[in-house]
Amino acid sequence: MTAQIELQNVDKHYGTFHALKNIDLAIDKGSFVALVGPSGCGKSTLLRSIAGLESISSGTLKIAGETMNGVPPRKRDVAMVFQSYALYPHMTVERNLSYSLRLKGMSRADAKKKAEEVAKTTGLSELLHRFPRQLSGGQRQRVAMGRAIIRNPKAFLFDEPLSNLDASLRVQMRKEIRSLHDRLGATSVYVTHDQIEAMTMADYVVVMRNGVIEQRGRPLELYDFPANKFVAGFIGSPAMNFIASSIDASGTRLIFDEYSGESIALEQRLEPNRKVIAGIRPEFLRVASEAEANFHIEVGTVESTGSATYISSQDQMVTVVQSERTELKPNDRVGLKVDSARIHLFDAKTEARIVTDAG
Amino acid sequence: MNRLPAPKLFLVLALGLAALYLFPLYWMYVTSLKGSSEIFANPPTFWPNDPDPSIYPETWARRTMATFLWNSLVIATGVTSLTVLLGTGCAYVLARYRSVWIDIGLFAILMLQVLPASVMITPLYVGFNQLGLLDYPRTAVILAAAGKAIPFYIVLVRATFMSVPRELEEAALVDGNSRWGAFFFIVLPLARNGILVLAILTFMQAFGEYIYSKSIITTQSLQPASVGLSGFLGPNSTDWNGIMAYAAIYVTPIVLVFVILQRRIVAGLTSGALK
Amino acid sequence: MGRIVSSITDGKGFDLLLVGLTMVFLLALAGVPLVYNVVMSFQQVDMFNLSTFSRPFAGFSNYVEVVSQPEFWLIIRNTAIFVFGSIGGQFVFGFALALFFMLKFPFASTIRGLFLVSWVMPGLVVGALWGWILAGDFGVLNAILKGIGLIDNTMFWKSDPSLAIWAVTIANIWLGLAFNMMLLSVGLAGISQDLYEAAELDGANGFQRFSTITLPMMRSTIGAVLALGLIYTLQQFDLFPAITEGGPANSSNVAQYWAWQWSFQLFDFAKGATVSVMMLVFVLFASLVYVWSTRHEVRG
Repeated sequence: MTAQIELQNVDKHYGTFHALKNIDLAIDKGSFVALVGPSGCGKSTLLRSIAGLESISSGTLKIAGETMNGVPPRKRDVAMVFQSYALYPHMTVERNLSYSLRLKGMSRADAKKKAEEVAKTTGLSELLHRFPRQLSGGQRQRVAMGRAIIRNPKAFLFDEPLSNLDASLRVQMRKEIRSLHDRLGATSVYVTHDQIEAMTMADYVVVMRNGVIEQRGRPLELYDFPANKFVAGFIGSPAMNFIASSIDASGTRLIFDEYSGESIALEQRLEPNRKVIAGIRPEFLRVASEAEANFHIEVGTVESTGSATYISSQDQMVTVVQSERTELKPNDRVGLKVDSARIHLFDAKTEARIVTDAG
Repeated sequence: MNRLPAPKLFLVLALGLAALYLFPLYWMYVTSLKGSSEIFANPPTFWPNDPDPSIYPETWARRTMATFLWNSLVIATGVTSLTVLLGTGCAYVLARYRSVWIDIGLFAILMLQVLPASVMITPLYVGFNQLGLLDYPRTAVILAAAGKAIPFYIVLVRATFMSVPRELEEAALVDGNSRWGAFFFIVLPLARNGILVLAILTFMQAFGEYIYSKSIITTQSLQPASVGLSGFLGPNSTDWNGIMAYAAIYVTPIVLVFVILQRRIVAGLTSGALK
Repeated sequence: MGRIVSSITDGKGFDLLLVGLTMVFLLALAGVPLVYNVVMSFQQVDMFNLSTFSRPFAGFSNYVEVVSQPEFWLIIRNTAIFVFGSIGGQFVFGFALALFFMLKFPFASTIRGLFLVSWVMPGLVVGALWGWILAGDFGVLNAILKGIGLIDNTMFWKSDPSLAIWAVTIANIWLGLAFNMMLLSVGLAGISQDLYEAAELDGANGFQRFSTITLPMMRSTIGAVLALGLIYTLQQFDLFPAITEGGPANSSNVAQYWAWQWSFQLFDFAKGATVSVMMLVFVLFASLVYVWSTRHEVRG
């Protein structure tokens, strides 16, 4: 596969603020890439730099092999779906859809025909003569999508397109966007702060923080092998539990420092006395009998959604998720069991993953 | 506040206050319709005994109002065109960015907005004289008055541009527009109402412009209606029904336009007046 | 060349072009005259060197002469009366009306909008109207005041030296009141109704709500309105030629009209410039207050 979008050593400064730091990223033709991270991490800046709405301070940006530094947005042949949809309020749906074609010099009749085709595939046929203010949130979202599709661009850029929709519509649009992507075989870059969107929609996920790419990979790779504590905490819901721990003098046992020094046997030998952070996903912890338990917590809260029950410790540091209901009450002391193969270890200082043979 | 169940009472009170406030306008129309002896009646009559509108055509002809009003129209049109042409783009840029330079530009414009015309007229007159612009007195007045109107226009139109979402313009750029295309086809149409209201206000202000015209235009046939009015106005005027007829002819178009567009003008003004 | 063109169509060149044109125009018609004004106030200007650029340097002699004019202090006093009387009247009546129109009743905003008609009328016409209303023997104001028994003798508003400046001030209060009211209404509308309800639940009565919620919340608006009032009052010129022409015997003359008289009636442009520069100092001070009180809005 060839790279449709390629960034090499890209930096972006706003005055003294370093928004993007030495970004290297290649996005394959036809793939769906999600950029995730907390707000202010640089994901939107990166997307807007690809669109040409921001200029990059240094480095190279290529689209379909052509260098795009300094090329204005209109000459980049990319389409963008904005968070607020940015539909032109003074134009009907039809004119919103066909606007870019008319700018390219397509005749009014041809542009209209094209708009009708796109409206059919996006379910907007009945709404062509309405104005944006007469549409519901979901319909506006579709127009914004249609406006991108109609151009058949080199790449689709999405800037948090679902964050203004309510929860159930969001789930539905997630599927629609993905199936549209598959049908068109387009290249898509999708910015979101919602890791669930990224996990469910994307072929590749790029996790960013403070202008730096922390990790990139297939969604389940990030889930199973987070490169550091930040990615581990960002991917997965509810978030991973982190417990300050250390390796014992023999290098074979992990001691939970915060839980009265209880310990668990390691799969393999590690450097003795090393300070580490143990990361355990809530779904891999289970309530266990006294004989099986690896460590104990005091129950703080018990919440149930019906399908899942969340048991949290009093210090709010540890959460357990289970599908069975529970009789546990606050202040109960309870033993927890974890499979040591499921424990992620991170260095206490660098927070980087400690690579073991087990993974 | 909603515990006082007297909205009708308030309405009556409000109408009374408005009537009191607008009494000078009423008095202008009433006086103009009175005969020349009735205006000096003591006590004054609050409705003319014998309304006589013939003073209007008479004043119109005797005071050569056609010429005066034409000149006012020329000056107001010139000032408004220049202001809209130069002010709109500048207001847009000042609304679009945020930086130290923009703040400095805004500050400079706010400062220019406050310069009294009576302060500026002396150096402008001397400068125009040196440049030979006094030979084209109406053009000179248009330039001077536009210099005064533009800062005010920019400050208020900028507020209108601020309300146009930035993403719309970005969508237009991605859709294939140059900066010019995005400005003219997307941003301008969306800011149209605010621009229109302020253009009308600029026109009204320029239509009543006095000090620059009085100082710069010495040829009577080129003077605007305000200077024409001042010609027979002073502490010792007696021709009050003629003056009021002149004033009525002069301001009625302005008052009508204002009343018709009142809602929009007020909204356009208040949205940006304090910004 | 190509880069400049593409910057103008697609980049920063577009912004610079739009701002640049306007700034050049404003610099030529406001910035340069401003400096020229200061320069002239230190020069000796007469009819012979009016159209040349080389004029004798006069030092502070213009300033000394202006200050030593017999009417100088009278004009300062009048300007102070005019400015503070106008601002005070416009503000008090404007605030009262703004508060009144915050009450809920039908057509409140429409009726309030009608008040603004005074603001769009040409100043000279407003002056003419008030000149007639305030006339001595035949003025309607005197007739009304006598009718309701407030005065017994005819008040010669325009020709009595102790009243003349007040005549112009009254007209100016009428002219600027509506604009004050409008700005204050915007400020009042910006105060959340929740605050008043919370204060009411806390047991505050109407007056306490006004003094503990309305006034503190309106502080920046009030600052801006007062500063703008000072600026606009010092800009007011048209009323003077229309009502009193500064008379009788300068008893209603103010700095802005005096400056104009120096230049365009006595043709002493240097003195006109000198008075202008003195005024400018006050205006700039007021605008600093204005910019300071609206700095949050300016930065957004």
